[in-house]
Amino acid sequence: MPSVSSSHKTNEVAVSVRGLGLTYTTAIDRRPTLKARVKSLGRGGKQTRVIRALDEVNLDVEYGQVLGIIGTNGAGKSSLMRVISGILPPTQGRIEVYGSVSTLLALGVGFNPSMSGRDNVYLGGLAAGMSRDEIDSHFEEIAEFSELGEAIDAPMRTYSSGMYARLAFSVAATVRPDILIVDEALSTGDAKFKEKSLNRIKELRSDDRALILVSHAMATLEDVCNDVAWLHKGKLIQRGDPKTVITAYREFLQVGKSAAIDEDV
Amino acid sequence: MNTPTQVYEPFRAGLPPLRKYWKSLWSRRTFISEYSRSELREQHFDSAFGQLWLVLNPLLLSAVYFLLIVIISGSSDSTRYAHLTATLFLFYLVANSLTGGVKSITAGQRLILNTAFPRIMLPVSAVVIAIFKFLPTLAVFLAIRTVLGLPLTWEMFWTIPVLLITMLLALGLAVTISCINVYFRDIASFLPYMTRTLLYLSPILYEASDLKPELRTLELFNPLFPILDSWSRALVHGQAPLTSHLLIGLGWAIGIFLIGTYFFLSREREFAVRL
Repeated sequence: MPSVSSSHKTNEVAVSVRGLGLTYTTAIDRRPTLKARVKSLGRGGKQTRVIRALDEVNLDVEYGQVLGIIGTNGAGKSSLMRVISGILPPTQGRIEVYGSVSTLLALGVGFNPSMSGRDNVYLGGLAAGMSRDEIDSHFEEIAEFSELGEAIDAPMRTYSSGMYARLAFSVAATVRPDILIVDEALSTGDAKFKEKSLNRIKELRSDDRALILVSHAMATLEDVCNDVAWLHKGKLIQRGDPKTVITAYREFLQVGKSAAIDEDV
Repeated sequence: MNTPTQVYEPFRAGLPPLRKYWKSLWSRRTFISEYSRSELREQHFDSAFGQLWLVLNPLLLSAVYFLLIVIISGSSDSTRYAHLTATLFLFYLVANSLTGGVKSITAGQRLILNTAFPRIMLPVSAVVIAIFKFLPTLAVFLAIRTVLGLPLTWEMFWTIPVLLITMLLALGLAVTISCINVYFRDIASFLPYMTRTLLYLSPILYEASDLKPELRTLELFNPLFPILDSWSRALVHGQAPLTSHLLIGLGWAIGIFLIGTYFFLSREREFAVRL
Protein backbone atom coordinates (compact mmCIF):
# COMPACT_ATOMS: atom_id res chain seq x y z
CA MET A 1 0.00 0.00 0.00
CA PRO A 2 1.54 3.27 -1.04
CA SER A 3 2.65 5.46 1.81
CA VAL A 4 3.23 9.18 1.69
CA SER A 5 6.86 9.23 2.68
CA SER A 6 9.65 6.76 2.22
CA SER A 7 11.31 5.63 5.41
CA HIS A 8 13.97 3.61 3.71
CA LYS A 9 17.69 4.24 3.57
CA THR A 10 19.96 4.00 0.59
CA ASN A 11 21.31 0.51 -0.06
CA GLU A 12 18.61 -1.20 1.96
CA VAL A 13 17.11 -4.04 -0.05
CA ALA A 14 13.81 -3.14 -1.69
CA VAL A 15 13.16 -6.24 -3.77
CA SER A 16 14.93 -9.54 -3.55
CA VAL A 17 14.39 -12.13 -6.27
CA ARG A 18 15.88 -15.57 -5.66
CA GLY A 19 15.97 -18.45 -8.10
CA LEU A 20 12.87 -17.21 -9.87
CA GLY A 21 11.31 -19.46 -12.46
CA LEU A 22 8.02 -18.84 -14.21
CA THR A 23 6.25 -21.30 -16.45
CA TYR A 24 2.71 -20.83 -17.52
CA THR A 25 0.10 -22.31 -19.78
CA THR A 26 -1.74 -20.01 -22.07
CA ALA A 27 -4.36 -20.43 -24.73
CA ILE A 28 -3.19 -20.44 -28.34
CA ASP A 29 -6.39 -18.71 -29.46
CA ARG A 30 -6.75 -15.12 -28.44
CA ARG A 31 -10.39 -15.86 -27.78
CA PRO A 32 -10.74 -19.49 -26.73
CA THR A 33 -14.27 -20.76 -27.34
CA LEU A 34 -16.27 -23.80 -26.45
CA LYS A 35 -17.15 -24.14 -30.12
CA ALA A 36 -13.49 -24.39 -31.13
CA ARG A 37 -12.84 -26.88 -28.35
CA VAL A 38 -15.74 -29.10 -29.40
CA LYS A 39 -14.71 -28.95 -33.05
CA SER A 40 -11.16 -30.03 -32.27
CA LEU A 41 -12.29 -32.89 -30.00
CA GLY A 42 -11.97 -35.59 -32.64
CA ARG A 43 -8.72 -34.26 -34.03
CA GLY A 44 -7.13 -33.79 -30.65
CA GLY A 45 -5.52 -30.49 -31.59
CA LYS A 46 -3.64 -28.63 -28.91
CA GLN A 47 -5.46 -25.72 -27.28
CA THR A 48 -2.74 -24.45 -25.03
CA ARG A 49 0.98 -24.03 -25.02
CA VAL A 50 3.41 -23.90 -22.16
CA ILE A 51 5.68 -20.90 -21.95
CA ARG A 52 8.86 -20.85 -19.94
CA ALA A 53 9.06 -17.12 -19.32
CA LEU A 54 11.70 -16.87 -16.60
CA ASP A 55 14.48 -19.21 -15.61
CA GLU A 56 16.65 -19.01 -12.48
CA VAL A 57 16.60 -15.23 -12.20
CA ASN A 58 18.39 -13.73 -9.19
CA LEU A 59 18.06 -10.00 -8.75
CA ASP A 60 18.29 -7.54 -5.89
CA VAL A 61 17.04 -4.00 -6.08
CA GLU A 62 18.16 -1.55 -3.43
CA TYR A 63 16.64 1.70 -2.31
CA GLY A 64 18.17 4.64 -4.15
CA GLN A 65 18.64 2.45 -7.18
CA VAL A 66 17.07 2.98 -10.58
CA LEU A 67 17.23 -0.33 -12.35
CA GLY A 68 16.69 -0.44 -16.09
CA ILE A 69 15.59 -3.73 -17.63
CA ILE A 70 16.47 -4.34 -21.26
CA GLY A 71 16.07 -7.24 -23.62
CA THR A 72 14.47 -8.24 -26.87
CA ASN A 73 10.73 -8.82 -27.22
CA GLY A 74 9.69 -11.92 -25.35
CA ALA A 75 12.75 -11.84 -23.10
CA GLY A 76 10.54 -12.03 -19.99
CA LYS A 77 10.78 -8.38 -18.93
CA SER A 78 7.05 -7.86 -18.46
CA SER A 79 6.65 -11.26 -16.81
CA LEU A 80 9.35 -10.32 -14.31
CA MET A 81 7.55 -7.06 -13.51
CA ARG A 82 4.25 -8.91 -13.04
CA VAL A 83 5.83 -11.40 -10.68
CA ILE A 84 7.48 -8.67 -8.60
CA SER A 85 4.18 -6.80 -8.33
CA GLY A 86 2.33 -9.96 -7.29
CA ILE A 87 0.10 -10.21 -10.34
CA LEU A 88 1.53 -13.58 -11.37
CA PRO A 89 2.69 -16.10 -8.79
CA PRO A 90 6.15 -17.59 -9.45
CA THR A 91 6.54 -21.24 -10.36
CA GLN A 92 9.87 -21.50 -8.55
CA GLY A 93 11.89 -19.34 -6.26
CA ARG A 94 11.01 -16.61 -3.85
CA ILE A 95 10.41 -12.88 -4.11
CA GLU A 96 10.59 -10.60 -1.11
CA VAL A 97 9.33 -7.05 -1.36
CA TYR A 98 10.22 -4.55 1.35
CA GLY A 99 7.83 -1.66 0.93
CA SER A 100 4.83 -0.46 -1.02
CA VAL A 101 4.76 -1.06 -4.75
CA SER A 102 3.10 1.04 -7.40
CA THR A 103 2.90 -0.46 -10.84
CA LEU A 104 2.58 1.11 -14.22
CA LEU A 105 2.67 -1.87 -16.48
CA ALA A 106 2.15 -1.99 -20.20
CA LEU A 107 -1.54 -1.18 -20.06
CA GLY A 108 -1.64 1.63 -17.55
CA VAL A 109 -4.73 2.70 -15.67
CA GLY A 110 -8.27 2.60 -16.80
CA PHE A 111 -10.21 -0.56 -16.72
CA ASN A 112 -13.52 0.69 -17.92
CA PRO A 113 -13.21 3.04 -20.90
CA SER A 114 -16.79 4.23 -20.62
CA MET A 115 -16.15 5.64 -17.15
CA SER A 116 -14.47 8.99 -16.59
CA GLY A 117 -10.78 9.40 -15.90
CA ARG A 118 -11.66 10.37 -12.34
CA ASP A 119 -13.69 7.18 -11.72
CA ASN A 120 -10.94 5.07 -13.21
CA VAL A 121 -8.29 6.65 -11.01
CA TYR A 122 -10.40 5.98 -7.92
CA LEU A 123 -11.26 2.42 -8.93
CA GLY A 124 -7.66 1.62 -9.85
CA GLY A 125 -6.45 3.01 -6.53
CA LEU A 126 -9.07 1.17 -4.50
CA ALA A 127 -8.29 -2.09 -6.30
CA ALA A 128 -4.60 -1.60 -5.51
CA GLY A 129 -5.57 -1.42 -1.85
CA MET A 130 -5.50 2.33 -1.21
CA SER A 131 -8.18 3.95 0.91
CA ARG A 132 -10.58 6.60 -0.38
CA ASP A 133 -8.90 9.24 1.78
CA GLU A 134 -5.48 8.40 0.40
CA ILE A 135 -6.73 8.81 -3.16
CA ASP A 136 -8.58 12.00 -2.21
CA SER A 137 -5.35 13.48 -0.88
CA HIS A 138 -3.45 12.65 -4.07
CA PHE A 139 -6.14 13.35 -6.61
CA GLU A 140 -5.52 17.07 -7.13
CA GLU A 141 -1.85 16.42 -7.73
CA ILE A 142 -2.59 13.60 -10.14
CA ALA A 143 -5.02 15.74 -12.15
CA GLU A 144 -2.56 18.60 -12.24
CA PHE A 145 0.45 16.50 -13.19
CA SER A 146 -1.44 14.81 -16.00
CA GLU A 147 -2.43 18.23 -17.45
CA LEU A 148 -5.75 16.76 -18.50
CA GLY A 149 -7.78 19.72 -17.30
CA GLU A 150 -11.51 19.18 -17.63
CA ALA A 151 -10.98 15.99 -19.64
CA ILE A 152 -10.48 14.20 -16.32
CA ASP A 153 -14.28 13.98 -16.06
CA ALA A 154 -14.79 12.82 -19.64
CA PRO A 155 -15.15 9.09 -20.42
CA MET A 156 -11.75 7.52 -21.02
CA ARG A 157 -12.80 6.22 -24.44
CA THR A 158 -12.59 9.83 -25.62
CA TYR A 159 -8.91 10.07 -24.61
CA SER A 160 -6.02 10.00 -27.05
CA SER A 161 -3.29 7.47 -26.36
CA GLY A 162 -1.08 10.30 -25.13
CA MET A 163 -3.72 11.41 -22.62
CA TYR A 164 -4.06 7.81 -21.48
CA ALA A 165 -0.34 7.53 -20.91
CA ARG A 166 -0.16 10.87 -19.12
CA LEU A 167 -2.88 9.93 -16.68
CA ALA A 168 -1.37 6.50 -16.10
CA PHE A 169 2.06 7.90 -15.36
CA SER A 170 0.63 10.60 -13.10
CA VAL A 171 -1.19 8.03 -10.98
CA ALA A 172 1.81 5.75 -10.60
CA ALA A 173 4.26 8.54 -9.85
CA THR A 174 2.20 10.80 -7.59
CA VAL A 175 1.16 8.24 -4.99
CA ARG A 176 4.84 8.24 -3.94
CA PRO A 177 5.35 4.50 -3.59
CA ASP A 178 8.47 3.04 -2.02
CA ILE A 179 8.97 1.01 -5.15
CA LEU A 180 7.82 2.14 -8.58
CA ILE A 181 7.66 -0.23 -11.50
CA VAL A 182 7.24 1.29 -14.95
CA ASP A 183 6.89 -0.97 -17.95
CA GLU A 184 7.34 0.71 -21.33
CA ALA A 185 5.20 3.67 -20.46
CA LEU A 186 7.81 6.37 -20.82
CA SER A 187 7.91 6.32 -24.57
CA THR A 188 4.35 7.61 -25.00
CA GLY A 189 3.36 11.22 -24.52
CA ASP A 190 4.86 14.27 -26.15
CA ALA A 191 8.39 15.58 -25.65
CA LYS A 192 7.34 18.01 -22.95
CA PHE A 193 5.56 15.39 -20.88
CA LYS A 194 8.38 12.94 -21.40
CA GLU A 195 10.80 15.44 -19.92
CA LYS A 196 8.46 16.10 -17.05
CA SER A 197 8.12 12.40 -16.27
CA LEU A 198 11.87 11.87 -16.46
CA ASN A 199 12.33 14.70 -14.01
CA ARG A 200 9.81 13.06 -11.71
CA ILE A 201 11.74 9.81 -11.92
CA LYS A 202 14.99 11.57 -11.04
CA GLU A 203 13.18 13.25 -8.16
CA LEU A 204 12.02 9.88 -6.84
CA ARG A 205 15.55 8.56 -7.24
CA SER A 206 17.08 11.31 -5.13
CA ASP A 207 14.30 10.61 -2.64
CA ASP A 208 15.79 7.16 -1.99
CA ARG A 209 13.03 5.17 -3.53
CA ALA A 210 13.55 2.14 -5.71
CA LEU A 211 12.62 2.27 -9.36
CA ILE A 212 12.47 -0.41 -11.98
CA LEU A 213 12.11 0.76 -15.56
CA VAL A 214 11.48 -1.47 -18.53
CA SER A 215 12.24 0.29 -21.78
CA HIS A 216 13.62 0.02 -25.26
CA ALA A 217 14.81 3.61 -25.17
CA MET A 218 18.50 3.07 -24.44
CA ALA A 219 19.40 6.73 -24.29
CA THR A 220 16.78 7.37 -21.61
CA LEU A 221 17.92 4.41 -19.59
CA GLU A 222 21.53 5.52 -19.79
CA ASP A 223 20.41 8.93 -18.57
CA VAL A 224 18.30 7.96 -15.55
CA CYS A 225 19.43 4.52 -14.45
CA ASN A 226 22.34 3.73 -12.19
CA ASP A 227 22.03 0.02 -12.86
CA VAL A 228 20.88 -2.04 -15.83
CA ALA A 229 19.92 -5.68 -16.15
CA TRP A 230 19.73 -7.48 -19.46
CA LEU A 231 17.32 -10.36 -19.85
CA HIS A 232 17.32 -12.79 -22.73
CA LYS A 233 14.91 -15.70 -23.15
CA GLY A 234 14.03 -15.65 -19.47
CA LYS A 235 17.60 -15.60 -18.23
CA LEU A 236 19.58 -12.80 -16.67
CA ILE A 237 22.53 -12.27 -19.02
CA GLN A 238 24.32 -9.32 -17.51
CA ARG A 239 23.81 -6.83 -14.74
CA GLY A 240 25.77 -3.78 -13.77
CA ASP A 241 26.90 -0.36 -14.93
CA PRO A 242 24.42 1.02 -17.50
CA LYS A 243 27.06 1.93 -20.10
CA THR A 244 28.74 -1.48 -20.04
CA VAL A 245 25.53 -3.51 -20.17
CA ILE A 246 23.90 -1.36 -22.83
CA THR A 247 27.03 -1.51 -25.00
CA ALA A 248 27.11 -5.29 -24.68
CA TYR A 249 23.39 -5.46 -25.51
CA ARG A 250 23.89 -3.24 -28.57
CA GLU A 251 26.71 -5.45 -29.77
CA PHE A 252 24.51 -8.49 -29.29
CA LEU A 253 21.76 -6.86 -31.34
CA GLN A 254 24.21 -6.14 -34.16
CA VAL A 255 25.19 -9.81 -34.24
CA GLY A 256 21.54 -10.71 -34.07
CA LYS A 257 20.77 -8.51 -37.00
CA SER A 258 23.34 -10.14 -39.23
CA ALA A 259 21.80 -13.46 -38.21
CA ALA A 260 18.57 -12.03 -39.57
CA ILE A 261 16.68 -11.82 -36.28
CA ASP A 262 14.06 -9.17 -36.64
CA GLU A 263 14.36 -6.60 -33.92
CA ASP A 264 13.78 -2.92 -33.61
CA VAL A 265 15.53 -0.75 -31.06
CA MET B 1 17.11 -6.63 8.30
CA ASN B 2 13.46 -5.65 7.96
CA THR B 3 10.75 -8.16 7.46
CA PRO B 4 9.40 -8.15 3.92
CA THR B 5 5.98 -6.53 3.37
CA GLN B 6 5.18 -9.06 0.69
CA VAL B 7 6.56 -12.48 -0.07
CA TYR B 8 5.65 -14.22 -3.29
CA GLU B 9 6.32 -17.91 -3.46
CA PRO B 10 5.01 -20.72 -5.63
CA PHE B 11 1.52 -21.76 -4.64
CA ARG B 12 0.80 -25.29 -3.75
CA ALA B 13 -1.94 -26.54 -6.03
CA GLY B 14 -5.48 -25.56 -5.12
CA LEU B 15 -6.65 -22.76 -2.91
CA PRO B 16 -4.67 -19.68 -1.87
CA PRO B 17 -4.34 -19.10 1.90
CA LEU B 18 -7.98 -18.27 2.65
CA ARG B 19 -7.51 -16.07 5.70
CA LYS B 20 -5.06 -13.81 3.88
CA TYR B 21 -7.31 -13.77 0.81
CA TRP B 22 -10.33 -12.77 2.86
CA LYS B 23 -8.37 -10.01 4.61
CA SER B 24 -7.22 -8.61 1.33
CA LEU B 25 -10.77 -8.81 -0.05
CA TRP B 26 -12.30 -7.17 3.02
CA SER B 27 -9.81 -4.29 2.89
CA ARG B 28 -11.02 -3.57 -0.63
CA ARG B 29 -14.74 -3.48 0.13
CA THR B 30 -14.84 0.21 -0.82
CA PHE B 31 -13.83 -0.84 -4.32
CA ILE B 32 -16.96 -2.98 -4.57
CA SER B 33 -19.31 -0.20 -3.47
CA GLU B 34 -17.51 2.44 -5.53
CA TYR B 35 -17.49 0.21 -8.60
CA SER B 36 -21.20 -0.56 -8.33
CA ARG B 37 -21.97 3.11 -7.87
CA SER B 38 -19.96 4.25 -10.91
CA GLU B 39 -21.39 1.42 -12.99
CA LEU B 40 -24.97 2.39 -12.09
CA ARG B 41 -24.16 6.04 -12.70
CA GLU B 42 -22.70 5.18 -16.07
CA GLN B 43 -25.90 3.30 -16.98
CA HIS B 44 -27.79 6.47 -15.92
CA PHE B 45 -29.54 4.84 -13.00
CA ASP B 46 -28.78 7.87 -10.87
CA SER B 47 -31.20 10.02 -12.85
CA ALA B 48 -34.99 10.05 -12.41
CA PHE B 49 -35.64 8.52 -15.84
CA GLY B 50 -32.98 5.90 -15.30
CA GLN B 51 -34.67 4.87 -12.04
CA LEU B 52 -38.02 4.86 -13.81
CA TRP B 53 -36.66 2.57 -16.51
CA LEU B 54 -35.29 0.25 -13.86
CA VAL B 55 -38.82 -0.22 -12.57
CA LEU B 56 -40.64 0.11 -15.87
CA ASN B 57 -38.63 -2.57 -17.63
CA PRO B 58 -39.62 -5.50 -15.36
CA LEU B 59 -43.15 -4.09 -15.02
CA LEU B 60 -43.65 -4.11 -18.80
CA LEU B 61 -42.18 -7.61 -18.91
CA SER B 62 -44.62 -8.84 -16.31
CA ALA B 63 -47.47 -7.17 -18.24
CA VAL B 64 -46.43 -9.01 -21.41
CA TYR B 65 -46.22 -12.36 -19.63
CA PHE B 66 -49.57 -11.73 -17.94
CA LEU B 67 -51.11 -11.16 -21.35
CA LEU B 68 -49.60 -14.48 -22.43
CA ILE B 69 -51.09 -16.32 -19.45
CA VAL B 70 -54.53 -14.78 -19.98
CA ILE B 71 -54.50 -15.77 -23.66
CA ILE B 72 -53.27 -19.31 -23.06
CA SER B 73 -55.25 -20.25 -19.97
CA GLY B 74 -58.31 -18.12 -20.81
CA SER B 75 -58.63 -16.41 -17.47
CA SER B 76 -56.57 -15.20 -14.62
CA ASP B 77 -56.86 -13.34 -11.35
CA SER B 78 -55.02 -10.72 -9.36
CA THR B 79 -53.12 -13.28 -7.22
CA ARG B 80 -51.82 -14.78 -10.43
CA TYR B 81 -50.55 -11.41 -11.53
CA ALA B 82 -48.94 -10.80 -8.15
CA HIS B 83 -47.25 -14.22 -8.28
CA LEU B 84 -45.95 -13.55 -11.77
CA THR B 85 -44.58 -10.12 -10.90
CA ALA B 86 -42.98 -11.14 -7.60
CA THR B 87 -41.23 -14.19 -8.99
CA LEU B 88 -40.18 -12.44 -12.20
CA PHE B 89 -38.51 -9.66 -10.21
CA LEU B 90 -36.58 -12.17 -8.11
CA PHE B 91 -35.70 -14.15 -11.21
CA TYR B 92 -34.20 -11.01 -12.71
CA LEU B 93 -31.98 -10.60 -9.67
CA VAL B 94 -30.39 -13.94 -10.55
CA ALA B 95 -30.44 -13.33 -14.32
CA ASN B 96 -28.82 -9.89 -13.93
CA SER B 97 -26.13 -11.36 -11.69
CA LEU B 98 -25.38 -13.89 -14.42
CA THR B 99 -25.31 -11.40 -17.30
CA GLY B 100 -23.28 -8.92 -15.25
CA GLY B 101 -20.99 -11.61 -13.89
CA VAL B 102 -20.21 -13.46 -17.09
CA LYS B 103 -17.98 -10.75 -18.54
CA SER B 104 -16.74 -9.30 -15.26
CA ILE B 105 -13.30 -10.95 -15.51
CA THR B 106 -12.76 -10.53 -19.24
CA ALA B 107 -13.89 -6.89 -19.10
CA GLY B 108 -11.61 -6.20 -16.16
CA GLN B 109 -8.61 -7.24 -18.24
CA ARG B 110 -6.66 -3.98 -17.87
CA LEU B 111 -7.05 -3.97 -14.13
CA ILE B 112 -6.14 -7.65 -13.82
CA LEU B 113 -2.99 -7.27 -15.92
CA ASN B 114 -1.88 -4.19 -14.00
CA THR B 115 -2.81 -4.70 -10.37
CA ALA B 116 -2.64 -7.45 -7.79
CA PHE B 117 -5.99 -7.84 -6.05
CA PRO B 118 -8.43 -10.65 -5.22
CA ARG B 119 -10.06 -11.26 -8.59
CA ILE B 120 -13.31 -12.40 -6.99
CA MET B 121 -14.05 -8.71 -6.33
CA LEU B 122 -15.22 -8.36 -9.93
CA PRO B 123 -18.04 -10.96 -9.98
CA VAL B 124 -19.00 -9.89 -6.43
CA SER B 125 -19.42 -6.33 -7.72
CA ALA B 126 -21.63 -7.62 -10.54
CA VAL B 127 -23.94 -9.24 -7.98
CA VAL B 128 -24.01 -6.07 -5.86
CA ILE B 129 -25.08 -4.12 -8.97
CA ALA B 130 -27.84 -6.67 -9.63
CA ILE B 131 -29.03 -6.26 -6.02
CA PHE B 132 -29.12 -2.47 -6.40
CA LYS B 133 -31.25 -2.91 -9.50
CA PHE B 134 -33.53 -5.35 -7.68
CA LEU B 135 -34.33 -3.20 -4.63
CA PRO B 136 -36.52 -0.59 -6.39
CA THR B 137 -38.52 -3.38 -8.06
CA LEU B 138 -39.18 -4.87 -4.63
CA ALA B 139 -40.64 -1.53 -3.53
CA VAL B 140 -42.81 -1.48 -6.65
CA PHE B 141 -44.07 -4.97 -5.89
CA LEU B 142 -45.05 -3.97 -2.36
CA ALA B 143 -47.08 -1.14 -3.87
CA ILE B 144 -48.74 -3.52 -6.35
CA ARG B 145 -49.48 -5.91 -3.50
CA THR B 146 -51.21 -3.17 -1.52
CA VAL B 147 -53.29 -2.10 -4.51
CA LEU B 148 -54.37 -5.71 -5.13
CA GLY B 149 -55.38 -5.95 -1.46
CA LEU B 150 -53.44 -9.12 -0.66
CA PRO B 151 -53.39 -9.97 3.06
CA LEU B 152 -50.48 -8.92 5.26
CA THR B 153 -49.21 -11.67 7.54
CA TRP B 154 -46.26 -12.37 9.82
CA GLU B 155 -45.30 -15.25 7.55
CA MET B 156 -44.20 -12.66 5.01
CA PHE B 157 -40.98 -12.31 6.99
CA TRP B 158 -39.95 -15.64 5.46
CA THR B 159 -39.02 -13.55 2.41
CA ILE B 160 -35.86 -12.43 4.24
CA PRO B 161 -34.18 -15.86 4.45
CA VAL B 162 -35.43 -16.67 0.96
CA LEU B 163 -33.86 -13.47 -0.37
CA LEU B 164 -30.57 -14.27 1.38
CA ILE B 165 -30.55 -17.75 -0.14
CA THR B 166 -31.20 -16.21 -3.58
CA MET B 167 -28.31 -13.77 -3.16
CA LEU B 168 -25.96 -16.58 -2.20
CA LEU B 169 -27.08 -18.57 -5.22
CA ALA B 170 -26.69 -15.53 -7.50
CA LEU B 171 -23.19 -14.97 -6.13
CA GLY B 172 -22.20 -18.59 -6.66
CA LEU B 173 -23.54 -18.56 -10.22
CA ALA B 174 -21.83 -15.25 -11.08
CA VAL B 175 -18.47 -16.41 -9.71
CA THR B 176 -18.72 -19.72 -11.60
CA ILE B 177 -19.74 -18.27 -14.94
CA SER B 178 -17.18 -15.43 -14.82
CA CYS B 179 -14.46 -18.04 -14.44
CA ILE B 180 -15.83 -20.30 -17.18
CA ASN B 181 -15.95 -17.32 -19.54
CA VAL B 182 -12.18 -16.87 -19.25
CA TYR B 183 -11.68 -20.29 -20.81
CA PHE B 184 -14.66 -20.34 -23.15
CA ARG B 185 -15.45 -16.83 -24.33
CA ASP B 186 -18.60 -17.90 -26.18
CA ILE B 187 -20.42 -18.78 -22.94
CA ALA B 188 -21.61 -15.17 -22.88
CA SER B 189 -23.42 -15.77 -26.17
CA PHE B 190 -25.12 -18.92 -24.88
CA LEU B 191 -26.20 -17.22 -21.69
CA PRO B 192 -29.45 -15.64 -22.97
CA TYR B 193 -30.67 -19.11 -24.05
CA MET B 194 -29.73 -20.57 -20.70
CA THR B 195 -31.54 -17.89 -18.70
CA ARG B 196 -34.58 -18.15 -20.98
CA THR B 197 -34.72 -21.91 -20.43
CA LEU B 198 -34.33 -21.41 -16.69
CA LEU B 199 -37.21 -18.91 -16.79
CA TYR B 200 -39.60 -21.46 -18.34
CA LEU B 201 -38.44 -24.25 -16.04
CA SER B 202 -39.17 -22.11 -12.99
CA PRO B 203 -42.56 -21.54 -11.38
CA ILE B 204 -43.00 -18.01 -12.74
CA LEU B 205 -45.55 -18.26 -15.56
CA TYR B 206 -47.25 -21.01 -13.55
CA GLU B 207 -47.43 -21.87 -9.88
CA ALA B 208 -45.53 -24.84 -8.52
CA SER B 209 -48.81 -26.46 -7.43
CA ASP B 210 -50.21 -26.34 -11.01
CA LEU B 211 -47.48 -28.58 -12.29
CA LYS B 212 -48.48 -32.05 -13.51
CA PRO B 213 -47.06 -34.79 -11.23
CA GLU B 214 -44.99 -36.24 -14.07
CA LEU B 215 -43.23 -32.87 -14.45
CA ARG B 216 -42.51 -32.57 -10.72
CA THR B 217 -38.99 -33.94 -11.24
CA LEU B 218 -38.19 -30.52 -12.75
CA GLU B 219 -37.87 -29.10 -9.29
CA LEU B 220 -35.07 -31.50 -8.45
CA PHE B 221 -32.81 -30.12 -11.18
CA ASN B 222 -33.62 -26.44 -11.05
CA PRO B 223 -32.17 -24.62 -8.03
CA LEU B 224 -34.53 -21.72 -8.64
CA PHE B 225 -37.62 -23.90 -8.40
CA PRO B 226 -37.81 -24.32 -4.61
CA ILE B 227 -36.55 -20.76 -4.07
CA LEU B 228 -39.13 -19.09 -6.30
CA ASP B 229 -41.93 -21.22 -4.86
CA SER B 230 -40.91 -20.25 -1.31
CA TRP B 231 -40.69 -16.60 -2.37
CA SER B 232 -44.18 -16.65 -3.86
CA ARG B 233 -45.69 -18.46 -0.87
CA ALA B 234 -44.22 -15.98 1.59
CA LEU B 235 -44.50 -12.72 -0.32
CA VAL B 236 -47.67 -13.25 -2.38
CA HIS B 237 -49.75 -15.71 -0.37
CA GLY B 238 -48.41 -14.71 3.03
CA GLN B 239 -47.79 -18.35 4.00
CA ALA B 240 -44.76 -20.09 5.44
CA PRO B 241 -42.71 -21.80 2.70
CA LEU B 242 -42.25 -25.57 2.70
CA THR B 243 -39.32 -26.52 4.90
CA SER B 244 -38.18 -29.02 2.30
CA HIS B 245 -38.09 -26.29 -0.36
CA LEU B 246 -36.13 -23.96 1.89
CA LEU B 247 -33.60 -26.66 2.66
CA ILE B 248 -33.26 -27.77 -0.96
CA GLY B 249 -32.82 -24.15 -2.06
CA LEU B 250 -30.23 -23.53 0.64
CA GLY B 251 -28.43 -26.74 -0.28
CA TRP B 252 -28.24 -25.70 -3.94
CA ALA B 253 -27.06 -22.20 -3.05
CA ILE B 254 -24.32 -23.38 -0.68
CA GLY B 255 -23.28 -26.14 -3.07
CA ILE B 256 -23.00 -23.89 -6.12
CA PHE B 257 -21.29 -21.17 -4.09
CA LEU B 258 -18.68 -23.54 -2.64
CA ILE B 259 -17.94 -25.37 -5.88
CA GLY B 260 -17.86 -22.13 -7.94
CA THR B 261 -15.65 -20.33 -5.44
CA TYR B 262 -13.26 -23.27 -5.17
CA PHE B 263 -13.04 -23.41 -8.94
CA PHE B 264 -12.50 -19.64 -9.17
CA LEU B 265 -9.94 -19.31 -6.38
CA SER B 266 -7.84 -22.19 -7.60
CA ARG B 267 -7.83 -20.73 -11.12
CA GLU B 268 -7.64 -16.99 -10.58
CA ARG B 269 -3.84 -16.85 -10.38
CA GLU B 270 -3.57 -17.72 -14.04
CA PHE B 271 -6.22 -15.27 -15.27
CA ALA B 272 -3.48 -12.76 -16.08
CA VAL B 273 -1.93 -15.09 -18.64
CA ARG B 274 -5.26 -16.27 -20.02
CA LEU B 275 -6.67 -12.86 -20.89
